[in-house]
Amino acid sequence: MAGHGDSGSDKKSSEATDLPIFNAENLQSNMKVIYYCRTFMSIIGGVTAGILGFTGLTGFIFYLIIMGATSVGLIAKAGFSVPSYFDSWNQIVLDGFLGGLMSFVLFWTFAYDIVHIF
Amino acid sequence: MAEDLVLDTAIRDWVLIPLSVVMVLIGILRYFVSKLMRSSQVPDAKIVKEGQLIVRARNLRASANFIPAKSFRARRFYYSNEENGLLFVPKGQAQNAQAQMFSDPNMAMDMMKKNLSMIIPQTLTFAWVNFFFSGFVAAKIPFPLTQRFRSMLQNGIDLSTVDVSYVSSRSWYFLNLFGLRGLFSLILGEENATDDTQRMMQMSGFGFDPTRSLGAEKDGLDIIQHDWALPKFEQHAESVLQKLVH
Repeated sequence: MAGHGDSGSDKKSSEATDLPIFNAENLQSNMKVIYYCRTFMSIIGGVTAGILGFTGLTGFIFYLIIMGATSVGLIAKAGFSVPSYFDSWNQIVLDGFLGGLMSFVLFWTFAYDIVHIF
Repeated sequence: MAEDLVLDTAIRDWVLIPLSVVMVLIGILRYFVSKLMRSSQVPDAKIVKEGQLIVRARNLRASANFIPAKSFRARRFYYSNEENGLLFVPKGQAQNAQAQMFSDPNMAMDMMKKNLSMIIPQTLTFAWVNFFFSGFVAAKIPFPLTQRFRSMLQNGIDLSTVDVSYVSSRSWYFLNLFGLRGLFSLILGEENATDDTQRMMQMSGFGFDPTRSLGAEKDGLDIIQHDWALPKFEQHAESVLQKLVH
């Protein structure tokens, strides 16, 4: 997983002025990194859930936990100063949530079938 | 509902795993084929010029508040005056550009190549799956679903007593088709050619008209409210520096 360190930081002055100062390209690059992390984690999480043999609601709760852990990891990577890298908290917590679900279900099914069904 | 079905391990070894591997490999192959077929035509100078112009105008609009009011007015006049402003398009030319775009054979050809490279592998794979694996129960999804999903997940087997969570091989193909997108974006990089939804978006934007975006950019420049931000920045810098000192 690539960090955001190489993409440079978007400084946004939050005090004194309410003028947003950020670099759109860097912001986009940060979003891309988040998207990659989420996809990667949802695939890994899907395989893990399948191997552990979760079924039904347990699996989806597992997905929620994985995504929550990813969010916490990303926030930690951003040095707990999210506003200097992203527009809002929504972006780091919710973005790519549904996109990863499809991959998660596919790999969950795949691993579950291979290990448990046959 | 029916009790658990016993599936043969041969189905796993000869249907489930090969099908998924083939789907991944075909996705990669398709990426490279479409990369090879992409013709590197020389872009039209006029279109490139207009694109750059739009980028410049957008930059001006985005950072308008960082230059003094006089400089901003001068730049805006340069872009959008009614006589020879760069963003000002005479009425007659608009139709012309669009017609030229449509009649450009290279463009249509490129479009068709892209489409073919998408459709042909999909049809072939679907025919292959249909021919070899029709009527298998290939997989079981690990969560319960309602009857409504039966036609989606058990495409190809007509048994109403089988539990809905069993997936036929043809439907496993469809699941792969949609679910592997994330994997492709990981292994092929950002602009992979397999993203079908993005393709659709591009297709709808086929009749894209550069002159219209020029006009839109001009309107955007015209309505902008200029407010020079920098005078306040001395206080801001002072407070930042003071915080550093303390």
